[in-house]
Amino acid sequence: MSAQAQVSIDRKSRLVLRIYMGIFFFYMFFPLVIMVAAGFNDYAQPSVTVWRGFTLKWFGELARDERMWSGLVNSLIIAVCVIAIALPQGLAGAFLVTRLQSRYTGVLYAIMVSPLLTPGIILGISTVIFWRNIGVSGGLFTAILAQSTFVASYAMLMFMARLQRQDMSLEEAALDLGATHAQAFHQITIPFLKPTIVTASVIAFLQSFENYNTTIFSIGGQHTLVTEIGSRMRFGLSPTINVIGILFILLTVFFATLYAVFRERERRREAQP
Amino acid sequence: MRSLRRSFGGPMTAVILLLAGTWIFGLIAGPQLIMIEQSLWRMEQGEGGAEISARIDRLYNQIDILSFDKMDVEDKPASTERDATLAEFTGKIDALTVEIAVLEATETTPRKVYSIDNYRLMGSAHLAIFAKTVIASLGVTAIAFFVCYPMAYTVAKLAPPRRAALILLALTVPYAINELLRIFAWQMILNYNGLANAMLGVFGFEPVPFLESGTGVFVAMVYAYILFMVFPIYNTIETLDTNQIEAAKDLGAGTWSIHTKVVLPHARPGIAVGCIMTFMLSAGSYAVPYIMTRGTADPWFTQLIYNKFFESTNWNVGAAYAFSLLAVCVVFIFLMMKLLKVRLQDIAK
Repeated sequence: MSAQAQVSIDRKSRLVLRIYMGIFFFYMFFPLVIMVAAGFNDYAQPSVTVWRGFTLKWFGELARDERMWSGLVNSLIIAVCVIAIALPQGLAGAFLVTRLQSRYTGVLYAIMVSPLLTPGIILGISTVIFWRNIGVSGGLFTAILAQSTFVASYAMLMFMARLQRQDMSLEEAALDLGATHAQAFHQITIPFLKPTIVTASVIAFLQSFENYNTTIFSIGGQHTLVTEIGSRMRFGLSPTINVIGILFILLTVFFATLYAVFRERERRREAQP
Repeated sequence: MRSLRRSFGGPMTAVILLLAGTWIFGLIAGPQLIMIEQSLWRMEQGEGGAEISARIDRLYNQIDILSFDKMDVEDKPASTERDATLAEFTGKIDALTVEIAVLEATETTPRKVYSIDNYRLMGSAHLAIFAKTVIASLGVTAIAFFVCYPMAYTVAKLAPPRRAALILLALTVPYAINELLRIFAWQMILNYNGLANAMLGVFGFEPVPFLESGTGVFVAMVYAYILFMVFPIYNTIETLDTNQIEAAKDLGAGTWSIHTKVVLPHARPGIAVGCIMTFMLSAGSYAVPYIMTRGTADPWFTQLIYNKFFESTNWNVGAAYAFSLLAVCVVFIFLMMKLLKVRLQDIAK
């Protein structure tokens, strides 16, 4: 697909497009540069207009910040639980949609993708309402469930894409040759799904860890790393937030590059006959 | 059901149904339905609740007066007459106490009344903010589309493959960076003593209160959600056979008709996804208005929802607000699907 020839255009249009791209990328990256720079500024507020020299002291300040560390722990707990809940649910949903030959498949599918098209705050608040009626108030537990609602949809879509390419004859052959259902599932379906299980776990982890909208509406009096960052940003009192920004950007660049390399390799492998 | 059982056997089918069932009913449908139900009722004082409260107050006053009178009688020297009056007072006070108890019982058990009052309340108090939120979100969506379409087309069809891969990687980075950080970067720029005002100052302009006027919310929103438009459109344009474009060109089509007649029709599903995501994220954004206004500008609709739940704790009204937001998003999705003639199956990929 990507090996398709590109459309040829004349030199003037090419120049216009180049300028357009340049402006677009400047627009995308300039604010981030500003934010990174302020993290190294030796000034008590996040700022680049008042420059007091280069410093690394905000990194130390961040490392001593107890609330950030407890937020990080909460984020990790939530993310692990979300993976444990949402992946099996998403996989079960994908099995239903791909294997259940029924005229309700379309409706099922619509319900299962609906969390992706619902504003995050609605997922958060409806979960809290639901559990309050049973006497459970907002906290890590409701945050986990609220996040699982949409993370399971991502998992379902990924598993579905994989299952649609599955060669069913393998599984049927195993069953015909006397394998039990458990054996066939364990030795054929699971190994086939393994790459997707890995990528779905990574995506689920990132979606959970980085989530703000759903979490802030469902977590009650608790906090995660990201909700804590949010409440500090509002008044922008200390450049430690910028330092967090720098760390997030480094991690993102790392993962994005890893992902691109991984995808490129995958594509080359598929291109080979 | 039989096909499931054939590939998984009885026990595993049961597990699959259980897992999918808890997700669909326990996490998706259940909470949404409870939220809608909650938005449709309120606790109401019994018939004429205010009058009952007033009557109770009056009765308490009567008891106070009677007690004073009774104390006066108590001071008198003992006699049978005194005992009779005292007994009379005690009897009256007891009767009043019983009456109060009855009234208070009706007062403290409010009834659950189904009505659309919660929505009416929203309509009278915050319709303007609701409309502003929807219109601004439509604006963000439109801007994102016009900026991103040329970008997506360029990467998909005009750039050489190696460069296209590099551009995509470069776009992935700001796309994947946490939403809050992207917003905060703009808060630093548009702050009262931020970079934008410093630049204006160089040219001798007065500082502009970007954050306080609400401009900041719009600017940061476009920045935060614009890339959700690029990737879906890119993905669909990439599947378009380049020969179709070349053929159109050979047959004499100009740039405009190539796009309106060949590329855009092909990219419909991607455009639908991009618009739906951008609109949904903007209308449902809590982070952008929270960080970009510091509470100084008009609230975004999501902030009203937050306040109803966590500050004024009127959950029934809050649920009505939340459902209104959800309804707008659903209407928008159906509108896009109808307008662009795509099905749900094309959208969620």
